[in-house]
Amino acid sequence: MEWFLDPFALGFQQRALAGGILAGLMTAVVGTWLVLRGMSFFGDAFVHGIVPGVAAAVVFDINPLLGAAAAALVMVLAIELVNRQTALGEDTSIGLLFVGMLALGVIIISRVDSYSGSLTTILFGDALGVTSQDLIIQAVLAVVVISAATLFYRPLLALSFNADKAQLWGLNPKRAHAALLVLIAAAVIGSFQSVGTLLVFGLLVGPPATAALVSRTVPRMMLTAAIISVFSVWIGLTLSYHLNTAGSATMAIVPIVLFFIVLAFTRLRTHRRERVLSHA
Amino acid sequence: MPNVVVGHNVVITRGSQIAIAASDFTIPQGKITAIIGPNGSGKSTLLHAIAGLLPVSSGTITVLDETPVASQPRISYVLQYTTVPTGTPLTVAEAVAMARYPGLGLFGRPSREDKKYVTSAMERLKITDLAKRHLTELSGGQRQRVYVAQGIAQDHAILLLDEPLTGLDITSAKTIDSIIHEEPDRGCSVVLTTHDLEEARAADHVILTAGRVVAFGKPQDVLTTENLTNAYGLGSLHEHQSTDLILPAEHHLGDHSH
Repeated sequence: MEWFLDPFALGFQQRALAGGILAGLMTAVVGTWLVLRGMSFFGDAFVHGIVPGVAAAVVFDINPLLGAAAAALVMVLAIELVNRQTALGEDTSIGLLFVGMLALGVIIISRVDSYSGSLTTILFGDALGVTSQDLIIQAVLAVVVISAATLFYRPLLALSFNADKAQLWGLNPKRAHAALLVLIAAAVIGSFQSVGTLLVFGLLVGPPATAALVSRTVPRMMLTAAIISVFSVWIGLTLSYHLNTAGSATMAIVPIVLFFIVLAFTRLRTHRRERVLSHA
Repeated sequence: MPNVVVGHNVVITRGSQIAIAASDFTIPQGKITAIIGPNGSGKSTLLHAIAGLLPVSSGTITVLDETPVASQPRISYVLQYTTVPTGTPLTVAEAVAMARYPGLGLFGRPSREDKKYVTSAMERLKITDLAKRHLTELSGGQRQRVYVAQGIAQDHAILLLDEPLTGLDITSAKTIDSIIHEEPDRGCSVVLTTHDLEEARAADHVILTAGRVVAFGKPQDVLTTENLTNAYGLGSLHEHQSTDLILPAEHHLGDHSH
């Protein structure tokens, strides 16, 4: 029992767990729509895209959440601009912004004396450095994100099914898509301090992708993804304590390992079922 | 006969390409209208414009005496089953029930009447036994029946179907064909796209497209050798002067043009 309780005996460890759980809940709900809409590459680019905003916030000593929000806005507008002004595919515009924003972030942070330390914190997070104030902001964002995802359930489901049908059903797919972008931004901004800008992507895609392997409805997929997220944060921090590894990275790798375990299990089950049917 | 759709001097572009050049056409009320033409002739484009999903570049389309967008609450559009992704985890019953979203808004609970519409649509398409199955677990024909059930479960005055019978098994094709012929009896106007000349001949009204509307009206007036030759550009068709000519399958058309 002590093996499970020791990692959370101290205040900063409990805050790390609470911050991770809030990040996990937000990313599970938003990530479900991200995976269903086939926007994982956008999600990956997006989490890199906020790096210059956070870097600028570090340089100018302002709230990193504001910097991240500004960078997220620039990222989305620039992708839209490239999409509308050129015949290039969306993946190309996302790729351009992905590299451009990440490079800009590294350039900005390289002007700081503690360059490598600051960059590491931005990219890989500082789970054990989460403050009570960070938790309050995260909790507010989590309530907003989960409420908005519930409010937009039908438009987002219709959009995932087919944008033309959503339009004909009066569920405004453009507004639903814009709402999804805002939700992704809010979830990433509310999570990056706990798990870092790079590793938040693990929680954004890993739990929903794993949940998709075993869920038959979208609400169940969201619920399963949330459970996997919370489990990943908890077991990740526990393992990180005992193995003396980076907390954020250990949290982020758990859902990916879980995905392959569940994939192997489901393939094995399908194979067995097919064998039984072929012998019947 | 009153018309539910009237197109006047309609031009539709897709990107920089003109998909439909200046064309007039009508679609009569309570009848089955077939839009027929070669691949890339603008059949689906026309259907999209009627549904208000694609704006016209010039000219006007009037649907139920309003603009196509204003008429959307009274239009039900069944897309080709191949164009709808199956990745969303949905059961058959849930997919059909989505058709009632327009009247429910964001939070409204389905009423007894909503459930009745869904149940009836599933019964008519013979998919009640598939209700709990996942969309990915269905054959192409079964999935098309689900999408047609979704189409008729929605409140509608016009039912648009994009190639509803293409590539289906016999059971699914027969079931959907019977729905197409039942809908006018319920006061609904049906518009479908097809590659099949016999299917077009069985309709009440035909629109022949080839980058523009070549002709529209009764099948016997539209599907003439001259019009079909114009639309398909097939020199070999001149060898068959009979009005009973049967067009070869779409993917074989190229062979006849040589």
